[in-house]
Amino acid sequence: MERPLSPFMFPAWYRFQITSALSILHRLTGIALSVGSILLAWWLIAVAAGGQIFAATHAFIASPIGVVLLFLWSVAFFYHLCNGVRHLAWDAGYGFELRQAFLGSYAVLAATVVLTVFAWLPVWLI
Amino acid sequence: MANTPSLSDGTALRDENVLRRVRQFGSARDGSREWQLQRKSALALIPLGLYFVASMLWLATSDQLTAAQWLSSPLPALLTILFVIALFAHAVVGLRSVLLDYVHTRSLLIAAALLVRAAAILLAGASVLAVLKLFLAR
Repeated sequence: MERPLSPFMFPAWYRFQITSALSILHRLTGIALSVGSILLAWWLIAVAAGGQIFAATHAFIASPIGVVLLFLWSVAFFYHLCNGVRHLAWDAGYGFELRQAFLGSYAVLAATVVLTVFAWLPVWLI
Repeated sequence: MANTPSLSDGTALRDENVLRRVRQFGSARDGSREWQLQRKSALALIPLGLYFVASMLWLATSDQLTAAQWLSSPLPALLTILFVIALFAHAVVGLRSVLLDYVHTRSLLIAAALLVRAAAILLAGASVLAVLKLFLAR
């Protein structure tokens, strides 16, 4: 018997559920954050290098594309953080009841929105 | 079912790593090392990440002098170095577990995992060096 392998189960066999959607989103944001960490390392190097390198990096980050990327990066970070805390709770043996799993899902989404707004509010207001 | 090879056999645990085999030869004591590293780095990244991201949103569009001054003060320098190390350790474990799930050829899996690890070490090393340069030059 040929066993079905990981990525192809999602669209065809599984009905949409908030829990599984958040699970795959945890992976996607994890991958996105890993890619984003290249830019983070680049920024640190640019600050240390200064001069032309910093000017070019700064121009990119301050451009509309740069700001949008920064915003998406922060959303991904806050989501991965909140859902990661949920994962740690699962590792400790809490939150496995169906009701708790759904409640936790919505709590993670709400916390992501709150943290993102909270983080960007000072930037928007200034 | 047991005798039919499936796609996942290429990356399945080798026989010597399976618990019932390990028991004959010795303990499997470090079997959970990666799992633990992922959780421990996750715990470290909660305070470090919140601190760094809050600082970054404030600093990202600032000029070089402000950013350099911030990075060369002792506490931000230390916490940034720790953040970068925890971040790349966490990313390596996470990306490897993604590769384990989706790459079903052993040679490709080893090559991709090595590439991820090498890139992470390079980026982490360069980041630490950058912060150290700013800190030591103050």
